[in-house]
Amino acid sequence: MYPQLHIPDGFLSPQISLLLWVATAVLIGIAVRKTSRTDVRLIASQPILMGVLGAFIFAAQMFNFPVATGTSGHLLGGVLAGYLLGPWAGTIVMATVIGIQALLFQDGGLLVLGANIFIMGVIGTLGGSYLARGIGAVLGGSRSASILGAGAAAWLAVVAAAGFTTLLLGLSGTTDISVGLPAMLGVHALIGIGEALITVAALTFIAQTAPDILAGVSAPRKASPVRRLATGVAIAGVVATLASFFASADPDGLEAVAEELGFLDAGLSAPFELFPDYTIPGLDGTASTVVAGLLGVIVVIGVLLALGRLARSRAKS
Amino acid sequence: MEPRGVGRDARAAVITTLAFVTAVALLPPGSYLALLLAWLLLTFAGALVGISPGHLARRGLVALPFVVAAVPIIFLRNDELLWAGSVGPLTLQISGAGLRIALTALLKAWISVQASVLLLALASPPSIVTALRRMRLPDVISTSAGLTIRYLELLRDEARRMLRARTARSASPVGVGRERIGGTIAWRARTTGNLVGSLFLRAYSRAQRIEEAAASRGATGSLSVGTMPVADPRLTIKVVGVLVLVLVLTLAGALLPRL
Repeated sequence: MYPQLHIPDGFLSPQISLLLWVATAVLIGIAVRKTSRTDVRLIASQPILMGVLGAFIFAAQMFNFPVATGTSGHLLGGVLAGYLLGPWAGTIVMATVIGIQALLFQDGGLLVLGANIFIMGVIGTLGGSYLARGIGAVLGGSRSASILGAGAAAWLAVVAAAGFTTLLLGLSGTTDISVGLPAMLGVHALIGIGEALITVAALTFIAQTAPDILAGVSAPRKASPVRRLATGVAIAGVVATLASFFASADPDGLEAVAEELGFLDAGLSAPFELFPDYTIPGLDGTASTVVAGLLGVIVVIGVLLALGRLARSRAKS
Repeated sequence: MEPRGVGRDARAAVITTLAFVTAVALLPPGSYLALLLAWLLLTFAGALVGISPGHLARRGLVALPFVVAAVPIIFLRNDELLWAGSVGPLTLQISGAGLRIALTALLKAWISVQASVLLLALASPPSIVTALRRMRLPDVISTSAGLTIRYLELLRDEARRMLRARTARSASPVGVGRERIGGTIAWRARTTGNLVGSLFLRAYSRAQRIEEAAASRGATGSLSVGTMPVADPRLTIKVVGVLVLVLVLTLAGALLPRL
């Protein structure tokens, strides 16, 4: 069955979900504008290329390779899509893929779709692709340099996306950042290696087999030494900021944030506190929980049976 | 009732699903009764179109593994301690508040997945894309989404065949305990990358053929012309109904007792 990669509904607070929907909508709006303005390369109709390559990314995510017993490396494809289609068109393709995964495969929720697109599309594809271009330029701007840059950026994008996911979950109060962040970053540092290796191998294959397609798609840029140095410093700055950001994820540093979040929680749930500390009358807290749980289970089983019959008779007629 | 109506206006179904999922997400932690109400409404709607609640419930389980993300707070929050003690060398505590948050998130995810399963049962993927286009989704996105859906199974099938061929060439683990693996990790990754690369080339040449076919029929880049179904005449009243549903669920979250 399809693996679950994206955040489902219920794990992010509505406020954060909506905020990221807005951010995503703005960036996708820019992407749509940029894409309809850029014109086109080998294939005259960009939506057709984008649509078919969306299906390609989807299918490419099925490819995996064994790393050790039980674990495997696989591809998410953000930087690959950005390299092949350009950062903005690649972002739209990834956003479409993530949207279809949510709607058709229930991989990732609908209210949190904005967040998922932001994580994989905006950070993983848009950010990753520009990072790839930057690293490629620093490494000398040849084709192989740009492919190496894509590999490095693919690793960084996966790790950054995982870190951002954990931060969102932490801000929503659904996870503990001090434990979740190192765990997520550790796991994704490994997943990112698989991503980077496959991205480099795939691009190398395409560059060797069909150089004309890549030449039309994203010509490597030659930059002056000064520019290369400046780009290098800028990238190092971005990476160092990210690293220090994640390195400071120790419990002490996060205590303050957590406290703030506690207040945030309290403030936000205030409108619902009409009957605080309500329990079933005559029972103490624990007992009422147990009784309510049992009642819940009984009701659920009854409903399952009754509605199951209704569904069967409806399906027959 | 005709399910999965192709060429029907699916806007009401799309709006209802989004509104329902939003209303469920807005419920505060611990509002199990309101979640029960939401689930009842959902399964009732499902039963009306002939989908058994058991089927929905099973499909809802796909979101289950994600609960791992919420596990730390069960042990790391310090409020409403239900239990504290040591397991071997570890001192552990279980927080009631953390448990409530994790359980609520899990139930919300489970119910929301069922809502989108129900949407898919009511509206075909192309009709969902058409509905989104009617709701002002940019043309580039709806056209490429429509094509992605159209070519999805084709390319996935191609990928499956390539994977099977790779297995036949034994670049994957073999032996009783799958202990023999060919080559180094880098070699295996390159094998896989080559597959991805050649799948890209196949997809690219397919896109070229589609483009030629479309151009020779006079298409101008957008494939979304002339396929709009008749607008749902009762859309307004349905949307009002949806707003009432959201209000009921939100009120249920506010007024029903929470544990």
